[in-house]
Amino acid sequence: MAVHKRSYHAYAGDLTPRWSRFLVVSRYACQNALSSKNLVAYFALCFVYPLGCALALYANHNPRLLALFNTSSFFDPGAKLFFHFLRIQGTLGFVLTAFVGPGLVSPDLANNALPLYLCRPFSKAEYVMGKIFVLLALLSLITWVPGETLFLIQCSLAGASWLATNFWMISSIFLGSAVEILVFSLLALALSAWIKRRRAAGAALLGVFFFGAGFGQAINAVLRTTNGSLIDLAKLIARVEDQLFRQHTSVGISAADAWVALVAISAFCLLLLQKKVKAYEVVRG
Amino acid sequence: MNGQEAGQRIVFEDVSKFYGEVLGVNRVNLSIPAGITSLVGPNGSGKTTLMNLMTGLVRPTRGRITVLGISPDEPERLFQKVGYCTQFDSFPKGLTGYQFLYSYLRVSGRPHLAADRLAGQAIEQVNLVEAAHRRIAGYSKGMRQRIKLAQALCHQPSALVLDEPLNGLDPLIRAETIALFRTLAQEGLHVIISSHVLHEVDAVSDQVVLLSNGYVVAEGQIHGVREEIHEQPMQILIRCNKPGDLASQVFQQDCVVEARIHPDGQGLLVKTRDAGRFYLLLNRIAQGGINIESVAPADDDVLSVYEYLIGTEEPTK
Repeated sequence: MAVHKRSYHAYAGDLTPRWSRFLVVSRYACQNALSSKNLVAYFALCFVYPLGCALALYANHNPRLLALFNTSSFFDPGAKLFFHFLRIQGTLGFVLTAFVGPGLVSPDLANNALPLYLCRPFSKAEYVMGKIFVLLALLSLITWVPGETLFLIQCSLAGASWLATNFWMISSIFLGSAVEILVFSLLALALSAWIKRRRAAGAALLGVFFFGAGFGQAINAVLRTTNGSLIDLAKLIARVEDQLFRQHTSVGISAADAWVALVAISAFCLLLLQKKVKAYEVVRG
Repeated sequence: MNGQEAGQRIVFEDVSKFYGEVLGVNRVNLSIPAGITSLVGPNGSGKTTLMNLMTGLVRPTRGRITVLGISPDEPERLFQKVGYCTQFDSFPKGLTGYQFLYSYLRVSGRPHLAADRLAGQAIEQVNLVEAAHRRIAGYSKGMRQRIKLAQALCHQPSALVLDEPLNGLDPLIRAETIALFRTLAQEGLHVIISSHVLHEVDAVSDQVVLLSNGYVVAEGQIHGVREEIHEQPMQILIRCNKPGDLASQVFQQDCVVEARIHPDGQGLLVKTRDAGRFYLLLNRIAQGGINIESVAPADDDVLSVYEYLIGTEEPTK
């Protein structure tokens, strides 16, 4: 019969709040992502266009410059400017996602590291949250954060009347960015969870966009319909942004259909993550 | 079992786990006290499933599990009390040994200072101080095994669940690790180990759980389990100066099934169906002039019990 002294004391100190623990995963994932010099260089490049826009807005309100060129304004700083800004930053964001996203979940799965996370007081949802937060943060920094900053710059230069007319754009910039960020991030994470090789997952992300676009076009052409655009992610996002920025649209599907398709794609990505992010794997046969 | 007792044990009540049509474990009833408990069984017998069940990583298809009175449905409480070391060599990329422990302590909710202190303590416990700030990718198999062990015990759990924790360790580190398990068990921890190395299981365990094809074949202290196997005669090795004479005397007794002189000529191996009667008989023989040096059960170990109950699917001896 073994005799146990029971002198062992389990940890009885303070605990950090549960909501904050996912940030530990984000911190290490971000550190890992930003360890690539190429990525840091590309990330810095993503701020060139916002900086150019800020300078352009300043120039557009500089009386001396306007007088020099003998014009009242160089361009109209309205919805179209912010709409184009978001399209360009969205494209840059997609490439950034293709760099960062595939490396988030696939190494953990390839190394069977998930039980290590999940045998802590830490749920699957918190794990996904921790990983996706890296993309949310990086993409936010190049989309809605500079977008809203430009909006504020324009407000401060143009005055209260411009703000009153264009106040609705605050939510458009944020919502348009949020749609891009969420769709890109969920898609990248789902592919990262299902494809264990990082490069293959990156290629698959590009493939989903380009193959979807090509296949959608083919359906539209062969079946003489516009419903093929429902599998074209770029067109779906463009259609939603057209609506948000009150722009004329060339995409042949309704905004409501585009919203529904994007929600369905996001839900499917979450389902893929739910299926794959687990602490064990059953190998049959 | 009352509530207080259940609060100090790991309890499985009629637990079954099926992965679709694949059987994990079936109708498991266990009550594991503090100390070192070894799960023994061939590949696919359900050891890892049992471990995943007690750590809440998989949910039972049927039945109920409590770990020190906590249901796996309460992960926030459960994982403060349980440390798990999986059999996989699994590490997030790019981390040093210290970062590995520190990050998981933060995930477990330890504040910065506590995480730093606990990571340091665990690294000391597994003798990895010098390699703590090197990347795990550069560690040897034994070092990786030790840092995995450290991550399981760094948050000071009350139950340690260790899947094949001695794999890849050299003999010296193996002995140190077993000593660490013993210390932890003596302090009142539940240390659950799965292992294929039966002589180590024998040396280290307070109790064993034998598994085969998803079923618990036997559980308890190995001596007690052996006594319950009535269909296999007990083997007793008697070291003496006249094994031939002893053999002729014991053969006359109906409780003796077989007697064989040991290959070194210094002892007799006896198989008996009634060990109690045989020991009484041996006392009488000893008084008759044969000098008996030692009497010890020869098949009162995990290996023998394993062979009797599970048979040919042997793990490593």
